[in-house]
Amino acid sequence: MKLFRVNMNQLQVNWEQSPAVYEHLGGRALIAKLLLEEVPPTCDALGPHNKLIFTPGLLGGAGVTTAGRLSVGSKSPLTGGIKETNAGGTAGDTLGKLGIKAVIIEGQTDKGALHLLHIGSDDSAEILPADDLHGLGTYATSDRLQEQYGADCTVISIGQAGENLMLGAGIATTGEGDQRSNIAARGGLGAVMGSKGLKAIVIDKAAAKTVTFADAELFRTSSKRFARDILENPKLGPKGGTHTYGTAAITGAVNEMGSLPTRNFSSGSFEDSVSLRGEHLRETILTRDGQIGKRCMPGCVIACRNNYVDENGDSIVGTLQYETIALVGSNLGIGNLDDVARLNYMCNDFGLDTIETGAALGVAIEAGFAQFGDTEGIISLLKQVGEGTVLGRVIGNGAVTAGRVFGIRRVPATLGQAMPGYDPRSLKGNGVTYATSPQGADHTAGNAFGARNQVNPLGVEGQKELSLKLQIISAMLDSTGLCLFARPPVIADPQLMADMINGIYGWDWDKDDLDRMYRDVLRNELEFNRRAGITAADYRIPEYMREEPLAPHNVVFDVPDSELDTIFDTL
Amino acid sequence: MSIEIELFGQLLPSAQRRQMLIMKRPLLVQEIANILGLKLEEVGLITIDGVQSEKESSVKPGSRLCFFPPMSGG
Repeated sequence: MKLFRVNMNQLQVNWEQSPAVYEHLGGRALIAKLLLEEVPPTCDALGPHNKLIFTPGLLGGAGVTTAGRLSVGSKSPLTGGIKETNAGGTAGDTLGKLGIKAVIIEGQTDKGALHLLHIGSDDSAEILPADDLHGLGTYATSDRLQEQYGADCTVISIGQAGENLMLGAGIATTGEGDQRSNIAARGGLGAVMGSKGLKAIVIDKAAAKTVTFADAELFRTSSKRFARDILENPKLGPKGGTHTYGTAAITGAVNEMGSLPTRNFSSGSFEDSVSLRGEHLRETILTRDGQIGKRCMPGCVIACRNNYVDENGDSIVGTLQYETIALVGSNLGIGNLDDVARLNYMCNDFGLDTIETGAALGVAIEAGFAQFGDTEGIISLLKQVGEGTVLGRVIGNGAVTAGRVFGIRRVPATLGQAMPGYDPRSLKGNGVTYATSPQGADHTAGNAFGARNQVNPLGVEGQKELSLKLQIISAMLDSTGLCLFARPPVIADPQLMADMINGIYGWDWDKDDLDRMYRDVLRNELEFNRRAGITAADYRIPEYMREEPLAPHNVVFDVPDSELDTIFDTL
Repeated sequence: MSIEIELFGQLLPSAQRRQMLIMKRPLLVQEIANILGLKLEEVGLITIDGVQSEKESSVKPGSRLCFFPPMSGG
């Protein structure tokens, strides 16, 4: 497989055969190794020595259901450490089919000059001026480039937030048909893309329908079984909550457990949560002739996306997801999905992470710049992010920056990154993940919500062991291109994952090889962060969350530091 | 004496989502599920007043009991 190296200083693209050191790696695993090998950990994340990596997982392009995610990685300007964030859409699948292991963006153009990278279906690649795209949101950028390069190409782009180097900026990718708003959201990697002078990447549709298989029969039987296991899973199959209600299926449960971020994480329960539930979302969408049960990646059988429409049946945003509902809804005191959807669209268009931005808005509201529940006031604040006003830039730079500028110490973040939709005081396994993961406060690094039956969410016992287990599993999923929802079959039988990989590459991996490989991901990430100068203090849960009890259970985050500091002793 | 019950998601789709149950004594979750006609093998999470509970848990008058289907966090 090939590596595309894109030199933004010289505006040249070179490709090379993947070196042996990267042969067995994809997605997050490749990002961790490549950054550790090639990027000085103490470099300026928005400077010329950082690199931005786009890579499919090991299963990308092979037609495995749910396995088409695109991983994006870099040193994060938000956390100061390593970052991998991933998204659906068609990019991961297409890169896999083109035999491209990674696209690595290096250097940076002269300040202010914007370019786009065009990758053809015949291994060709060129860098072109893109100043005409300056100031456009991700929707307009995607529309314009698909008009130019064809409706079936994939567009990866940043919006105004990324162009203005805001640390809450993500990277948007298009999907099948006219699908937009798949966002590799976390860690401020949109700002890294902006710092490179890269507005967009266009990837032509691959001519090949799939990859070449070393053992087609092994791949066929294992991938077929994997798809069947997902379809038969009560959570994920056609009658399961994820398909039926989307990711918002969990809103009611998280609220009931007292972990739903509410009014800048000041409560774990929101009085209007009924209006934010997946059940209400489904009913609203179907009543208005919108769509539910759509897929974000080619061939996904879970299909948890929706197209949220207004009363006239016109799309507001596709898709409305749980984390956005939590951070831009209850966290801002908003109990109306129409309002959340409008804010969601704006974030997507500006190219913003809804988690980081929702948390920053919560801090801004606590500082008095708007009122909780005042949607129009909040929209006015968010508009300023797109306009690039001083106030908008403060909010667009995330929750920690907003807290510092506004003089608010109640900032829900670890390692500089805002917490997602689970308050760590009442879901302590997630708190351990936020406080130890090299990815910072990121539920996708090890979400204990799905393991609530194994460990009491309100208790301390077993949280460390649970989080470590989940962090290793997440590293595996993120390295293969699989969606996190697809984990049950490969947790139940890791050899199933090994067989799919072996079927493609002709390796002889077993579950122990998998386990070792994915522990190495965490080891490499932790080592990068250590070399970057990050210490245990940087990972800590904010002090107020250890001291201010959270309603309704009146609990604090009380997992001892000694537990957090020893979590990786058995890695 | 009564308790509030709420069913979430795809559980018992034809049943009323929120209902009150009058009871003369504390009941186990399992007993209440039987009264509702709910199969506990289809339930992914049970909470009593927001606290994760088990089928053997006792439900006291004035409590709020919720049944959720199997769910995953993304």
